[in-house]
Amino acid sequence: MDNLQPRLERCFAAVFPDLGPQEIPRASIGSVAAWDSLATITLFTVLEEEFHVPIDPADADNLVSFELILDHLESRVGGG
Amino acid sequence: MKLIEALQIAQAPPAEGKPFRVYLACGFMPLHLHTFLRAHLRQRLPDRPVEVECGLFGDLPANLERAIALRFDATAVTIEWTDLDPRLGFRQLGRWRPSDLPDIAGRTRARLAQILDSVRRLAAATSVAVSAPTLPLPPVSHAPRWQASAWEAGLRADVAAFVAEATATAGVRVVGAPELDERVPPAARLDVKSEVHSGHPYRVTLDDVLGDLLARLIVPPERKKGLITDLDDTLWSGLVGEAGPEGVSWDLASGTAAHGRYQQLLDALAAAGVLIAAASKNDADTVERALRRRDLLIDEQQIHPREVHWGPKSESVGRVLRAWNVGPESVVVVDDAAIELAEVQAAHPAVTCLRFPAGDEAAVQALLVELRDLFGKETLSEEDALRAESVRNAGRLEAVAAGSHEAFLGELDGVLRFEPVNGARDARPLELVNKTNQFNLNGRRYTESDWRTQLASLERFTWVASYSDRFGPLGKIALIAGRRDGEALQVDTWVMSCRAFSRRIEHHCVERLFADFGVARIEFDFVPTERNRALQEFFAELLGTAPAAPVRLEREHFRESCPPLYHRIDGVPHG
Repeated sequence: MDNLQPRLERCFAAVFPDLGPQEIPRASIGSVAAWDSLATITLFTVLEEEFHVPIDPADADNLVSFELILDHLESRVGGG
Repeated sequence: MKLIEALQIAQAPPAEGKPFRVYLACGFMPLHLHTFLRAHLRQRLPDRPVEVECGLFGDLPANLERAIALRFDATAVTIEWTDLDPRLGFRQLGRWRPSDLPDIAGRTRARLAQILDSVRRLAAATSVAVSAPTLPLPPVSHAPRWQASAWEAGLRADVAAFVAEATATAGVRVVGAPELDERVPPAARLDVKSEVHSGHPYRVTLDDVLGDLLARLIVPPERKKGLITDLDDTLWSGLVGEAGPEGVSWDLASGTAAHGRYQQLLDALAAAGVLIAAASKNDADTVERALRRRDLLIDEQQIHPREVHWGPKSESVGRVLRAWNVGPESVVVVDDAAIELAEVQAAHPAVTCLRFPAGDEAAVQALLVELRDLFGKETLSEEDALRAESVRNAGRLEAVAAGSHEAFLGELDGVLRFEPVNGARDARPLELVNKTNQFNLNGRRYTESDWRTQLASLERFTWVASYSDRFGPLGKIALIAGRRDGEALQVDTWVMSCRAFSRRIEHHCVERLFADFGVARIEFDFVPTERNRALQEFFAELLGTAPAAPVRLEREHFRESCPPLYHRIDGVPHG
């Protein structure tokens, strides 16, 4: 679990470069103006490369915040 | 490159200066291709901000017209089957009945002609990089996939004809299929799910590789100029000192044809203007006899100089660099012995050292491909054919000049021809500017679009000088450009090939500028660099002191300090 969060933060920082380090863990599709449909595709592609897990675009409706994505990754790849 | 790296590179703080503006023209949603193209361009242009703009989704022809109207520094045109006919894509539904196939082929042909016309108009103003369709065709044809269908073969022939026409157009470069196929096999390119959900049909690997290749076409890497080869177990198989000149081999019957293929490649490179030298720890007479064998596949005259003795290879390489007058970063050394390469690399860190993998056919083949890429050139100029001969002649010239230099210059029968550079069709002037280091006014490099803009300016002049003497022609060896500013001439670009040194051609250039423009003063936008020592020495000799930027040269001072000039001037352009 400890390993996943900093890696996910790095992914968020790359896709949303305007977010500060404090803002990233609280980021959600409602709070980040740049988080549109294209940013979602970019974020999912970055996550697939980083964590080697396929993310179905159909999951986009559920994966709408840093926290929810972290939960999703923990369930898919574990916290190791 | 991973997408996260591309994002980080693309988002890094931009460099100062004029942005390099690129238009990405495609019919699909560019998404990650845009990110990767920008990242790869930033890596190739670290000193300039890079901007990549995209057009409208689903309308490649309109995007091409937009690129023509807005005049970017370069345009990347990415064509996919769906741009040629929507029925060849995955997002728009239509009929694939056999009776529809001729119509699809006809529309595809017409659209390719339309795109070619746009690409040609684009290329008149900017450099253009094109990728032909990369994705697999949907199962449109009625033939099974394991059997070629006449319809699909015709479609691909039309695309091939388009590529042939595009590559023959000045200013247009097309992505090479072999490199793309090797890095991303056709079956690993299409992401149907992404295409359906977002309109972006590429897997991320294809985005990366295509972005890299397009960036390379827009900002080509500098090619190497010279290759220094070992002989034993490299140019030929065997040790010539032990087996004798007739005992070394490079033929199929001896199982050593890989060395023959290496000779073939060196011969082809030499004919294309690459300098070839030999560095071998051997007995010189024995080597000379081997090099005179009639079955050698490289013209032995092309191998110059030949450093054959028992001294360290690093010293041989140093002498070859001096004889060629090129920098170590422009040279490749090939040797079968890792220890020799390590010794050379330690002494010349900028040299590219490659091991000849004797006995490993596949590895030799990979080496030949790598060498072809390192020395590859889009078009060959007259100067390429002259380069090796002029370097060989330089040795004779130095020997003759060892007597009286004035007498030598007077007996050269030199002819200098100055011509204005009209348009960017001739690639040699820009090549001269971008590849010359030692006699370069300020080390400034130009992109193709910058160069075209300069040439289009009515206020500016750009001259190129060609030279020949009794030792043979050197081709176009100097370029000088600037603008008139009242009683002064402002020169901001001046380069001269190292092959033309020691002939006072630089003095002739200044003399012609004063004579043709009738100005009282020339101001040179001189910037000292680590490598323009030859130009610094020229100014120091004229001025009597170390040059300081900018260099101002008065006509009277030049007349007083200019040594005698001997060459005949031909074709003086009007200033």
